[in-house]
Amino acid sequence: MKRIAVLLAVAFLSTGWVLAQEPGSRVPSVTLAPVGKVQLKPGGSVSVQLDFRVGSEFHINSNQPKSELLIPTVLKLSAGAPVRIAGLNYPAGQEVAFPFAPGEKLSVYSGDFSVTAVVKAPTTVKPGEFPVSGELRFQACDRSACYPPRSIPVNFTVTVGSR
Amino acid sequence: MVASGKYLDRARKLHPSTLVGDVRGVAAPDFELTSLDGKRVKLSDYRGKAVLLNFWATWCGPCKVEMPWFVDLQKRYGNDGLVVLGVAMDDTEAPKIAQFASDMGVNYPVLLGTDKVSEEYGNVEFLPTSFYIDRDGKFVGKGVGLLDRKEVEANVQKALASRVIGAATSGTATALPRTSQPHTTVQ
Repeated sequence: MKRIAVLLAVAFLSTGWVLAQEPGSRVPSVTLAPVGKVQLKPGGSVSVQLDFRVGSEFHINSNQPKSELLIPTVLKLSAGAPVRIAGLNYPAGQEVAFPFAPGEKLSVYSGDFSVTAVVKAPTTVKPGEFPVSGELRFQACDRSACYPPRSIPVNFTVTVGSR
Repeated sequence: MVASGKYLDRARKLHPSTLVGDVRGVAAPDFELTSLDGKRVKLSDYRGKAVLLNFWATWCGPCKVEMPWFVDLQKRYGNDGLVVLGVAMDDTEAPKIAQFASDMGVNYPVLLGTDKVSEEYGNVEFLPTSFYIDRDGKFVGKGVGLLDRKEVEANVQKALASRVIGAATSGTATALPRTSQPHTTVQ
């Protein structure tokens, strides 16, 4: 009986391993780390670092891919008025050549990367909490397959204090 | 409507694929798609031919690796009855796809993919994905992701080796497509 259980366990693990190696058997993931407290005063601005992680073995195009055919990673955010998003700063991509195109370096994000959002509050804003919401759109590939563009939600709250 | 990621996410939940796993021996779903030059093309137009049906996109790096192989296979096996059909799953406009195909030297028809055909072929969302269809319209193989070129050619040969059921028993496949030779060859 014990032997059968061991054999079944081995068979299960083997199947899992095989599936894990097949292109298309995994879903590319990009996750956003929890965003800490974002506070600013009327008339002020703050840079909010948004930390993303690309699932292991995947890469996504950077915000400035090297071909217009490639789909860039883009963050779209909107803030509850009168707070506004004044700017977004993307990191430069890593220049990497992949086995499917060894002679061509692509500009990609893999592992951890951060996008900085600059949030501004007008002088007239009343103290309170203001939601910021949007999405990160990306298109991922691994070493042998590519996956359709996906989006993940990006949400955080800005607290405007008194002067 | 050209395929979009959001639709595919929905479709995957609502319509679990019937074309997952081993598809060999299963009849390939017929479809009608628009080619890059605006013609309507059906898979069944090619009954009697071996078909390499390749789902790809301009933004897919591994797909670009395979395309020169398909160009070569089309040249080498075209007279034996091979037809390569590319199905572009881009959101990009047709002229850009056509330019890309032209730049890649594509010598086979390229069709504009739809959500419907993607769904019918098992919610194709990993590119490249290729189906190898025999002369009788049945799958002899499927490849997801970038395969080894030898593997691709072996699948093509399997598809070519098939015989149309009910065809003349001369020992060679003599069946012709139902329509004259199409379609959207991009030079």
